[in-house]
Amino acid sequence: MVAKQVQFRCLMCGHEYSGMYDHDNVTERSCPKCRSNSVRRLPDAKAAKK
Amino acid sequence: MNIEVGVVIAATGMDVYDPTEYDEYGYTRFDNVITSMEFERLICAGGPTEGHFIRPSDRKIPQKIGFIQCVGSRSQDGRGNPYCSNICCMNTVKDTLLLCDHYPGVQASVFYMDMRAFGKGFEDLYMRSKEEGVKYVRGIPGDVVEDPETGNLILTVENTTTGKLEKHELEMLVLSQGVIPRQDGDTVRKLLTLSTTSDGFVMESHPKLKPVDAPTKGVFIAGCVESPKDVKDSVTQASAAAARASILLNAGKTKIEAITSQVDTELCNFCGICAKVCPYNAIGAPDRKAEKPPMIIQAACAGCGACAAECPQDAIQMRHFRDEQIMAQVEAIVKDDPEKHLLTFACNWCSYAGGDNAGTARLQYPTSSRLVRTMCSGRVDEKFVMHAFKLGAPMVLVSGCHFADCHYINAVHWTQKRMDRLWNKLDKLGIRVDRLQLEWISAAEGQKFAKVMRELEERVQAVTDEEIEFTKKVLAEEEEKAKKKKKPKAKAEVSV
Repeated sequence: MVAKQVQFRCLMCGHEYSGMYDHDNVTERSCPKCRSNSVRRLPDAKAAKK
Repeated sequence: MNIEVGVVIAATGMDVYDPTEYDEYGYTRFDNVITSMEFERLICAGGPTEGHFIRPSDRKIPQKIGFIQCVGSRSQDGRGNPYCSNICCMNTVKDTLLLCDHYPGVQASVFYMDMRAFGKGFEDLYMRSKEEGVKYVRGIPGDVVEDPETGNLILTVENTTTGKLEKHELEMLVLSQGVIPRQDGDTVRKLLTLSTTSDGFVMESHPKLKPVDAPTKGVFIAGCVESPKDVKDSVTQASAAAARASILLNAGKTKIEAITSQVDTELCNFCGICAKVCPYNAIGAPDRKAEKPPMIIQAACAGCGACAAECPQDAIQMRHFRDEQIMAQVEAIVKDDPEKHLLTFACNWCSYAGGDNAGTARLQYPTSSRLVRTMCSGRVDEKFVMHAFKLGAPMVLVSGCHFADCHYINAVHWTQKRMDRLWNKLDKLGIRVDRLQLEWISAAEGQKFAKVMRELEERVQAVTDEEIEFTKKVLAEEEEKAKKKKKPKAKAEVSV
């Protein structure tokens, strides 16, 4: 699978940002604002609605 | 060809960086710009010029030679690699001494950002090079142009020591190219289930305590497959790898992990997910047609539990960390005043040790957290989390090692993927997703452990009774639906 641009949301501070996501090569996520690792990859449909 | 071996030492080496993307140095445009590897061939008695260092454009012996350091190394501009290639500085110092030795009177200039001469005797070599008259200019050239008549090269460089812009006319230029992971090494890496660091080199089991062991048992690493290093370091590491390998070969018996997985053949539906997720390739894939269940290679299983957590049929169990044992801990934690407690799943090697670290450092954090230890965060099954919420837990934290520290190669990747699934599931059920948190906490991060506990304590207090009741109701309904869907199956004997 090729890496694609997805939307992430930090569940600690609520900060939303976009980044690359590759299902076959998952990388450690860290919120750029608060450094929390509770960063959720928003489902595609949900990210598109935003 | 099949060869039966007891251990494997991976020493597949490295490749050199191709400097063509640094177009400003003119490697593809000017004949007299060569790489350090090409320099080695020219100066070598067995090389194409029988050791005569001549420049390619007119076959004359150059008198002014420049070296540019860090080509493809320590780069932050998207080209090349961000790491130091370790060997290039001393290789250039050696090359300048060779030139001075072969051609007295030659003028060599080295353009560098930092000269790193940290090995035994290296500083002496560097000083000798300076004494021989080699000029060291602190600054990386921004541009190289060729004089079409003479074939000479004109470098523009900002000398960061003097702060002045300088132009240097040279007859030949050598690009000190960095090293990169071996480009055709993927087959070996996959075969031996070797994980790599972000720079592409193979990761060792432990950087300090097991520097020549791969995380996969019986596999050792030596040389530049692990990181760029010179001959001396490669020989040292190879000797260590051979010694480590001989211990295993001469032992006669091999100790296997007490915590390994086992398959319930009656529950297995031969989907093969377990074989796919195993970081050690310790699970022989099942055969659906032949109804052959997966086979666990006990000597290779390290006991991370990712297979048990991912199995959709609950057909895999971990010895000593069985589902019912973990569920019992969850139930015990939420038995009294569940709304006051933060349920934390902590991996044995990092997060749990991080909690210990916070304790021994006497860091203050709320006493409301209750820890469930698993060997790896990859063992935390979706149903453990859902069960906790169903019983009234206000918040659940899953914590594990940072990706680079994972004790089980990449089992932690499955934790991340599972958390995404869990968050989506909670969202779908109308349960607030931030009630499930994830943190990577290393054994040394006692402060982070305490900080996370303090932050989550505030969030635990903010979860209302109505929310908890709603969650319990929704999840109980979901469980009922799932029960109706699932046909009951008799438990059979567990096979290994």
